[in-house]
Amino acid sequence: MTKATDQGRALVALQDLDEQIRDAESAATRAKYEEMGFQLPGLDQLHEAQEKLEDAIDTKLLTRYRLLADRAGRAVVPVVEGTCTGCFTNVPTSFTSSVYEGQIMNCESCGRILFWP
Amino acid sequence: MTFDELVQYMSPELFVPNLEAREKSAVLEELTTAVVEGSKVKDHALILEMLRNREQLGSTALETGVAFPHGRSLAVTRLTILVARSSDGVDFDSEDGKPTHLFFLLLAPPHDTGNFYLQALGKIAEAIRRKDVRTSLMKAVEFDEVVQILQEAS
Repeated sequence: MTKATDQGRALVALQDLDEQIRDAESAATRAKYEEMGFQLPGLDQLHEAQEKLEDAIDTKLLTRYRLLADRAGRAVVPVVEGTCTGCFTNVPTSFTSSVYEGQIMNCESCGRILFWP
Repeated sequence: MTFDELVQYMSPELFVPNLEAREKSAVLEELTTAVVEGSKVKDHALILEMLRNREQLGSTALETGVAFPHGRSLAVTRLTILVARSSDGVDFDSEDGKPTHLFFLLLAPPHDTGNFYLQALGKIAEAIRRKDVRTSLMKAVEFDEVVQILQEAS
């Protein structure tokens, strides 16, 4: 596996974790969890895991991720049936092979980082 | 949300009648393997990492002997629900320290904007509050029976 592929997957893991933290910090979501009987005492551990993941990502790539996330809500979006789910534009089929070669691809239309689930 | 709506995200391929794993970390691994083998979810490592992080936030085991490992991930394209059981039970860090026997794994895509999976989770959690429902679920042989028990309880 190439470095870029590892980096791309680390970004995906980071976004999953960012969403988990956002949910855990949301008063509405916490209330729903507590209503069902779940306790959420481990927010600090999630922040620690977030820092570790960030440390493993190239600084320039991480900056790009954070800027995109600030601008677009989600920096990484899945490609479903050949479409970027960030802006619903078709993604060129050649992008798939570029990803297999280890590149991180951005949507040509909205600029978000693409992930093939 | 009705239970009929929920059932469309479950399938016989996503039913594990008796888990082999005997401790929490191994259960998460086994559940992840089962969901990768039984659904369109492909990325074992991403799912496992997400589930482990969720457990760090707080155990998903309730005091009723039921756990709900769950979360949203980019590796998931549609709500996916897996049902698993452990006849011996597993220490899943529940509040009361008692073993967990029933597992409902719920995975959702990140664009689950209405937190549909939380509604699904709530619906199942409500159904299994009854002890007789949990007992029946532990005895069910086929997946269809599991669905029928949950439908009747909801």
